[in-house]
Amino acid sequence: MLTAIFLPLILACFIPLISKWKYSIHTGWFVLIIPFSIFVYLIQQVGTRFSPFEKTYPWIPSMDIHFDLYLDGLSLLFGLLISGIGTLVVLYSIYYLHKSEQLGHFYLYLLMFMSAMFGVVFSDNVYVLYTFWELTSLSSFLLIGYWNHRKGSRYGALKSMLITVFGGLSMLGGLLLLTIVTDTTSIQEMISQKETIMNSPQFGWIIAFLFLGAFTKSAQFPFHIWLPDAMEAPTPVSAYLHSATMVKAGIFLIARFSPILSQSDWFFIIVSGFGILTLCWGSFMAVRQTDLKGILAYSTISQLGMIMAMLGFGTKIAVFAAVFHILNHATFKGSLFMVAGIVDHETGTRDIRKLGGLMTFMPITATLAFFGTFSMAGFPLPFLNGFYSKELFFDAALLHHFSVDGFAQLLKVIIPYLAVFGSIFTFVYSMYLVFGTFRGEYKEKELKTKPHEAPIGMLISPIVLVLGVIIIGLFPNLFNESFLAHAAQSIKGVEIHKKIKFWHGFNSIPLYMSLAVVAIGSILAYTRKRWSSVYNVIPGTLSFNRVYDWLVDKTTAYSEVVTESYMSGSLKHYVRYILIAILVVTFGTLWLTTDLTISNPDLASIGIPDMLVVSMMVIASVATIFTNNRIAAILILGVVGYGLAILFVIYRAPDLALTQLIIETVTVALFLLVFMHLPKLEKRNESKGTVFFNATVSILFGAMMTFVAIFSYSSKWFEPISDYFLETAVSLGGGHNVVNVILVDMRGLDTLFEIAVLGIAALGIYGMIKLRRDKGEK
Amino acid sequence: MSNLAVLPILIPLLSGIIAALMNRKQRAVRVFSTIMMLVNLGVTAYIGWYVFQNGPVILETGGWKAPYGIILVGDMLAILLVITTNIIGLACVFFAPKSLSEKQESFYFYTFFFMLISGVSGAFLTGDLFNLFVFFEVLLMASYGLITLGGEKVQFRESIKYVLINLFSSILFVTVVSFLYSVVGTVNMAQIADRVQDVEQKGILTTIGILLFFVFATKAAVFPLYYWLPKSYVVPNPVVSALFGALLTKVGIYSILRMFTIIFVHEVDLTHQLFLWLAALTMVFGVVGALSTNNIKLIVTYNIIPAVGFMLMGIGIFTEVSIAGTVYYLIHDMVVKGALFLLVGAIAYLAGTSDLRKMHGLIHHYPVIGWLFFIACITLAGIPPFSGFIGKILLLKGGLAQDQIFIVIIGLITSLLILFSMIRIFIQGFWGEKDESFQPDKPKARAFAWPIGFLVFFSVFLGVGAEFVYPIVDEISNTLLDPSIYIESVLKE
Amino acid sequence: MEIVTSILSGILFATGIYNLLQKQLLRIIIGTALMSHGAHLFILTMGKLKRGKPPIIVEGVENYVDPLPQALILTSIVISFGVTSFLLVLAYRASRLNGTDNMEELRGNENE
Repeated sequence: MLTAIFLPLILACFIPLISKWKYSIHTGWFVLIIPFSIFVYLIQQVGTRFSPFEKTYPWIPSMDIHFDLYLDGLSLLFGLLISGIGTLVVLYSIYYLHKSEQLGHFYLYLLMFMSAMFGVVFSDNVYVLYTFWELTSLSSFLLIGYWNHRKGSRYGALKSMLITVFGGLSMLGGLLLLTIVTDTTSIQEMISQKETIMNSPQFGWIIAFLFLGAFTKSAQFPFHIWLPDAMEAPTPVSAYLHSATMVKAGIFLIARFSPILSQSDWFFIIVSGFGILTLCWGSFMAVRQTDLKGILAYSTISQLGMIMAMLGFGTKIAVFAAVFHILNHATFKGSLFMVAGIVDHETGTRDIRKLGGLMTFMPITATLAFFGTFSMAGFPLPFLNGFYSKELFFDAALLHHFSVDGFAQLLKVIIPYLAVFGSIFTFVYSMYLVFGTFRGEYKEKELKTKPHEAPIGMLISPIVLVLGVIIIGLFPNLFNESFLAHAAQSIKGVEIHKKIKFWHGFNSIPLYMSLAVVAIGSILAYTRKRWSSVYNVIPGTLSFNRVYDWLVDKTTAYSEVVTESYMSGSLKHYVRYILIAILVVTFGTLWLTTDLTISNPDLASIGIPDMLVVSMMVIASVATIFTNNRIAAILILGVVGYGLAILFVIYRAPDLALTQLIIETVTVALFLLVFMHLPKLEKRNESKGTVFFNATVSILFGAMMTFVAIFSYSSKWFEPISDYFLETAVSLGGGHNVVNVILVDMRGLDTLFEIAVLGIAALGIYGMIKLRRDKGEK
Repeated sequence: MSNLAVLPILIPLLSGIIAALMNRKQRAVRVFSTIMMLVNLGVTAYIGWYVFQNGPVILETGGWKAPYGIILVGDMLAILLVITTNIIGLACVFFAPKSLSEKQESFYFYTFFFMLISGVSGAFLTGDLFNLFVFFEVLLMASYGLITLGGEKVQFRESIKYVLINLFSSILFVTVVSFLYSVVGTVNMAQIADRVQDVEQKGILTTIGILLFFVFATKAAVFPLYYWLPKSYVVPNPVVSALFGALLTKVGIYSILRMFTIIFVHEVDLTHQLFLWLAALTMVFGVVGALSTNNIKLIVTYNIIPAVGFMLMGIGIFTEVSIAGTVYYLIHDMVVKGALFLLVGAIAYLAGTSDLRKMHGLIHHYPVIGWLFFIACITLAGIPPFSGFIGKILLLKGGLAQDQIFIVIIGLITSLLILFSMIRIFIQGFWGEKDESFQPDKPKARAFAWPIGFLVFFSVFLGVGAEFVYPIVDEISNTLLDPSIYIESVLKE
Repeated sequence: MEIVTSILSGILFATGIYNLLQKQLLRIIIGTALMSHGAHLFILTMGKLKRGKPPIIVEGVENYVDPLPQALILTSIVISFGVTSFLLVLAYRASRLNGTDNMEELRGNENE
């Protein structure tokens, strides 16, 4: 199985090489081998005696991340879909994509996706699952953007990525919560601890996070909006990713976790509620589409909703029907997408308004389309698999043996009606699709080229799928025991045996539901044009696309407004924000953690000379604010500096005093030198408010520093280490001036780098001055 | 063997001096710098291996025993960060000649560069608070030199704000060190930790801790203090931006990490709760900034800020998992930010503009740069299996385990918006119609691609090969949460 | 006396900050200089004032003032000298090139 996951990825690495020969052999032929061999491998597993098995390969064992690969009925079903449809899609694409396209890129992304999808369905480890999950989003992004010179492609790619990655991240949240609650990263082990999960306080969050992930991926209402835009991808991609496999990953996730989650009423309410809503919304919206692939996209949305709803019911029959429909949907929808691709390829348009009467030109394609659409519509014919799953769906929607109360009860009552409602429109758009394209009058003027039947190679894949439709229709129980039952069992946890029958007798309600669908559907389909205003009435302002566009637009717009508003580029503002933040938090902390009493610390006596110097410095420092003469300002600054030097003398720091004197002199000289060349000081013409604000902030900041200093001073709880320096300066340091000994010996590293700082400053200054000279010479 | 600890500081220092002396012969300086970076990377890698085998190397400089002299503490965390620094340095030294004009190179770029590496390594290695201040000054001074290199009008305009705000925080730094000295009577970090523990961080100590936090938070660009960052990181040459983006803010985060895991850990309810709030705000405002502009350099620069938020969040949550997340994220972010800054620099150079609205279809001309950018993008957004992912799940898991759902949701949304802000560059800049009239500079693109590819490779390795790194990070996290290990290894009680 | 010097340092900080909040570069730089004076005075104060002889070992003298803060200040003074000189030249170049020393005119909101 590890091979199954990584084989496509490994080949993907060689694609750039292989695609160099694309003009002699279409790259697709090499690619074809991969899904086909995996399909052959997986099909061998099918059988009544199949039992799940697990294999583990380490990846990051220290974080409990392993490739725990788990093959049970569910993953086998998906694995077969991925490899089977994958084979057909690659085959189809060989004829669909011309050699002049960037085939290398296409197959690279496609293989990457295949790997990722296998990874999603086979992983038992939640982290690995998430890894592959995001990889499917990424490859989908790249595939949708394959024709990235089109604006629509870029828009669709971004949209699908944002929505699915959003869901992916949310799912990550849910998975992380699960690992925390259960202390394991294996899904199977989580299932065995479902009681713990159910009872944990985070259960609500888990459900919310996981559902968000599943719903976005499976395009459930209201996150469905990305799927129609994803149709910008080449048709093989739409058939593969956006119909048969990737969009079912969300279904897979729900199915995988339903042994844990389905115990809760909320599971039913949310999953079925959103599922059935999606079913109705999707099928209703499909009717008003004009793009063939648009119809199919909305159809996919509604079918996914239907499967989701069945999973939400969680009854035996519903689960079985869901599994059955996953298979059926893949066959008929896959064939329909390919048909749409053929029509597009041969006529140059997918706009159904321009199409019509193609039956005569493309008889085989038309036949395929008839099978596909009638199956999708659930038309009661014994050789259409769609009918069987639709009947099962109705049966399940009646929700026998299902007792709930409260809101869930209400839901239970209306679900059958909604199911019929949704199915009616399914019928309508199916008929619209097939008749609009293949019957009616041929509109010659609208088409650039004369349509003709597709090459045989392109037809093989849809033919195979339609054969699947017919075979399942004729022998609905063919795969039952060997295959579907295993899948259903891994969802439900108990063995499920179900005989699928075409005829249940006259007293079965699903039959009447089906008949109602066909009858009302036929009328509506026939009179579709009259209703067109109704179809166009609802959305528009209600459209969730607008919500998305609005969100994206406003996010950037508001970001700009917000950022521009505080990133003014003004140093004054920046300093203010910083000071206020420091003031608020520091005073807050002082208030909370310090009892604001000053213990009586040991203080030095107040001397007269000290006080004189101090008052001089106070006056000088305040004077710097008021002076409007630059030389005066600099000299006053000098006064403060020299005052400090005198204080150093008074406080027994001769070295400091000396250094301070020298440096102050040099600095003042530098100040004078530089500012002789600068504009004169202007009078400060600030508003009173500004002055007051600045003054308050400054005073508060000064006060804060003083407070903290005094508190620190009065909390001398330990002997300073400097006694050691005094003791050892002579004996170990060999010097009598302790400060010097510290500087050159004990803290020599400081001094070394202090000199380095000076050196760098000198080089920087040199650079700035020299550069000016160079420019001056020009 | 303890002398090893000083080599990562000393080698760049000496190299910088020699480079300054050789300044006349630029070609020789280039070769010399490259060789010295390789040597330094080799030496640090060896130290890393040595520490991994034998435990931390602790050097008492000048033979003055702890806590009296300056102690260099080469523990696993410090060494790991020093190695990462050198990896980025190596990429930059290869990138520099292609990106800088000859004149810029001759104005002592390599000297400033080596001094920066020396200062950053010193800040990681030192075990002395005042010495940390000195190394901060070294790296800041070097960064002042680098930011003005080239002497453009805008550079001067932005660098003066940069210098002033950093100067302010430096002044605050020394002052706060002296307050702390007054209370605990020492500047040795291990001894400070020991003594703070003795009095259970009572009284004024928490306030001092908060002030110290603000000092580092200004360098680290935490929420209300990052205003200086975006514009000043855009104006210098790409290689300088890359050094800044990869290294400078991370030194701030590292210092917060050290201070608030070994020293100020006795008022967690107050301090670390504050960090969580600030982390959330940092993430939101940072990513909002990234969405606000069409200047690709500015987008990447703003993306520094949410990353800082993520790391601060790990410190705020303060569990083994979350601290491991912070450390992992720190390393990841250094590498990926280095790569991204080089990338946008290269893109802006190759496209002739850094305005996103004026670019399109570049992938047809520069496929390699485009794909490297794509990988770097998704790495930054934390999409698996790349490096951002590992750090992020650790952080989120840590948050969820502590019931901090709120910040986790903010983190998740931020990740999405980061991806949005970055992928915009890819979609608008790289995708789209091929511009036939455009004259691509392919040789230059190839020259740019190598050092960038080197960094992207490391970033991928940090994700896919997490098994080689994570156990070490986990060990680091364990050590950080037990201050006594650090204290005892330094003070040898 | 320590309280007095603490207050003085606080005043130096306050006036420094006030200058920092001005528009003209010269005032701003004067502000930083005032603040670093304040910082140095704080450091000295924190090591207790006038508790003995200057820290030059002379036989027979028992009490010396704390030498460590002095060493720290010395390092700090030199470093701030380096930074201030750099800043001065930078300010000079910046205002020359941009034609103004008013920081409010050096905002630069355009997208470069």
